[in-house]
Amino acid sequence: MRNANLFKTSIILLLSVWLAVFVLVPNLLVLVASFLGRDESGFIKFAPSFDNYLRLLDPIYLRVFAHSLGLALLTTMVCLGLGYPFAYFLAQFRPSLRPVLLTLVIVPFWTNSLIRTYAIRSLLAAKGLMNNTLIALGLIDEPIRLLYTGSAVLIGMVYILLPFMILPLYSAIEKLDRRLVEAAADLGAGRWRRFWHVTLPLTLPGIIAGCLLVFMPALGLFFIADVLGGSRDLLVGNFLKDQFLDARDWPFGAAASIVLIGLLLLFLSAYAYSLKQFSAEENH
Amino acid sequence: MIPSQHIPLRPAFSTFGQMKSPLPCILKIISSLLLCFYGAIASGEVQEIRLFGWSDYLMPEILDQFTQETGIAVRYTSYDSNESMYAKLKLLNSGGYDLAMPSTYFVDKMRREGMLHAIDKTKLPNYKNLDTRQLDKPFDPENQYSIPYLWGTTGIGLDTDKFKPQDLQAWADLWKPMFVDRLLLPNDMREVFHVALIVLGYSGNNTDPEHIRQAYELLKKLLPNVRLFNSDAADVLFMTGEADAGVVWNGAANRIRREQPSFQYVYPKEGVIIWMDSLIIPKNAPHVELAHRLIDFLLRPDIAQAISEKVGSATPNLEALKHLDPKVRDNMTIYPSDEILSKGEYQTDIGEAITIYTQYWEKLKAE
Amino acid sequence: MAKFKSGYMALIFGFLYLPMAVLVLYSFNSSKYSIRWEAFSLDWYRSLATDDTLLEAAMNSLLVASLAASLACAVGTLGAVGLYRYRFKGRKLLQGLLFVTLMSPDIVMAVSLLVLFIAVHVNLGFWTLLLSHTTFCLPFVTITVLSRLEGFDRHLIEAASDLGASEWQAIRQIVLPLAMPAIMAGWLLSFTLSLDDVVVSFFVTGPEFEVLPLKIYSMVRLGVKPEVNALATLLFAVSLGVVISAQYLLQRKPQ
Repeated sequence: MRNANLFKTSIILLLSVWLAVFVLVPNLLVLVASFLGRDESGFIKFAPSFDNYLRLLDPIYLRVFAHSLGLALLTTMVCLGLGYPFAYFLAQFRPSLRPVLLTLVIVPFWTNSLIRTYAIRSLLAAKGLMNNTLIALGLIDEPIRLLYTGSAVLIGMVYILLPFMILPLYSAIEKLDRRLVEAAADLGAGRWRRFWHVTLPLTLPGIIAGCLLVFMPALGLFFIADVLGGSRDLLVGNFLKDQFLDARDWPFGAAASIVLIGLLLLFLSAYAYSLKQFSAEENH
Repeated sequence: MIPSQHIPLRPAFSTFGQMKSPLPCILKIISSLLLCFYGAIASGEVQEIRLFGWSDYLMPEILDQFTQETGIAVRYTSYDSNESMYAKLKLLNSGGYDLAMPSTYFVDKMRREGMLHAIDKTKLPNYKNLDTRQLDKPFDPENQYSIPYLWGTTGIGLDTDKFKPQDLQAWADLWKPMFVDRLLLPNDMREVFHVALIVLGYSGNNTDPEHIRQAYELLKKLLPNVRLFNSDAADVLFMTGEADAGVVWNGAANRIRREQPSFQYVYPKEGVIIWMDSLIIPKNAPHVELAHRLIDFLLRPDIAQAISEKVGSATPNLEALKHLDPKVRDNMTIYPSDEILSKGEYQTDIGEAITIYTQYWEKLKAE
Repeated sequence: MAKFKSGYMALIFGFLYLPMAVLVLYSFNSSKYSIRWEAFSLDWYRSLATDDTLLEAAMNSLLVASLAASLACAVGTLGAVGLYRYRFKGRKLLQGLLFVTLMSPDIVMAVSLLVLFIAVHVNLGFWTLLLSHTTFCLPFVTITVLSRLEGFDRHLIEAASDLGASEWQAIRQIVLPLAMPAIMAGWLLSFTLSLDDVVVSFFVTGPEFEVLPLKIYSMVRLGVKPEVNALATLLFAVSLGVVISAQYLLQRKPQ
């Protein structure tokens, strides 16, 4: 019995200690650093204040946050808009072909994302395939300058993150009990009513999971904005990278990181809450 | 409580969820193979030094030649701004790399912060080849910590297929509405502010907060014309048609010209920016001895000459200068006339004012 | 309607695959700036093959990915067993922490780990990279394994205990085999995540240990380099191969 207890304690401790050392403590350090001052030659100096947070209130930095959140939201919406019908059709596809098609969705997910970002760049370049084709077709005379604009960053984000939306959606839609939809049809509900009142609510967990999976990474992927935005489109991720690795203002960067963590916790609690609501409804 | 049935990502690998025995075996084999292979590479240890330099600033052929002659391998890692080089070295506690190439004012800063290893000139027989006019500069008296590598200018570049040369003869012309969304600027705080300060009639080394603010306000007006900030790949960006004009380093200008004759480098009327990049050894470099050998190799006249011709910037090496291809020596883009040089300005360390620059630079990028 | 559905799906697949197809095509183009098709050539593959630092970075990446995935599987599986098997104080907290770690943007983790490593004066390199990668893989493994275990009947283990099996025996002979597929899945996912990671690696590794994604990042920053096309084609072929062979292994399995 004592052995069992020892075993229990040690496996729980192993995971807890790992997370404490590499997740909790580092973030506490960031929290502490966010209240300290900057030192020209070192990293931080002991000068407790709220200055870093006050500096973040500068409209320019607020705009960086707003822009990032807006772009992440837009990415999520576009992914959802593109992904939901796709996942829906996929779930209705001939069962024999479904695994193959699903594999085709997974392959990009397993392919290096930098390489895929670069692929988007070659496509959108001034002398890239898109412009060459359009010019050859006589649709345009001058190349469209899409690269190094906000739209290019959006396209890149959607391209990288779309599989993250499709997969949870697909699993939710596939699990959907078709009898419920049929029952609604029997009761005389039209196609849209059925979708709106039966399919959509039942697949909501998948929608929320997909949205989180797209939204959260979209805030941090600095390299997409770097490669496709030409250092003109500053997102929170780039801002953090700059503060820590170029400008060397760690306390300021730490404050921005803490704000980001705050947002994360906010979204996750909203997620947990919505799931609770959902399962409560289901049980009734 | 984790709602595990909805844990995202599960579908991504649920297809693998039912795998049984074959895979673990395969993975075991792969990983042991991997470890063997890795061990084989690691055991064939050769002497290697790590060089931290600007993008496209030293050709692989030169480094290969060094390796062939000495048996010392060189690994070249590139950076695109002094700031990121400096930050990285700080992070590594002035170690990790054996050599780096900061520009003028950064040599000063790093020297004063004790980040540099003193250079032992007795180990550099080729030091005598250097042009004394390029030595003993205020940023490093007697060159105790730095050895000049290349010097050059920052000017204006334009594609004459797209714009007429007379449209862009001065820094102030960059603000013209005709350049909306066409310009490439270096991703370099000091260079960009330097341009604005010159246009305002100040020195590029101005430390007056009010003047820096004015420069920032002026740069804000330039932003609509800026297509992108990039210091890595100016040449590729012009050649692929992404940028049509902008602020470029003369080295990049020469490389573009080679591929694209319509490209032109212009010395702006207000005066050009002059810079010098020097070789330094970080304080805690792992291979100080080998770093000296590489520096000496780079000071050899034939090597310095090859570098200057290929990179397209000027060499501080007097012996190399003598042997330079006349076409290169008379190339005004690389070796500007004394008249142009006398109107040019070096960037110097601006001390604490750097924080003011940094804040405005961030704001500018966040606009 | 059926036509519309297939058409729509084809469009999405086109969006996912066209950019990669372009890279593959250009990787065989002899023109340096990939502007128009000149002639078929394998030059870029040749110049890749002679790039030792790239090869070494690739080996480093594979090493870290396999070690981090294995370490994460070891710690994560044991942790999942603990979470599944026992009720203890702080269990919910631990689960919450796992979930938050799972969802947090890479950049947040990268920044915090960098601060940690600098605070305790560790040299950035192999070890910091391995620990960081293990950390971001850990929640994926734990949650995958846990959610699989939760699908099984608890009475199985209790029955084993009643038959006199020790705790360790019960876990080794019943729980672990049940969890095996999820562990494998977690390993594969961790392996890929580690190979793909740019953000965390960018912050926590040093010059003595370069990894492939960072090499690619510096190549990509330098504009259009034909070698990148060749490299992209190779990596794409590898992931295609891995996914397809995994599917094949899966389907061959007797029902």
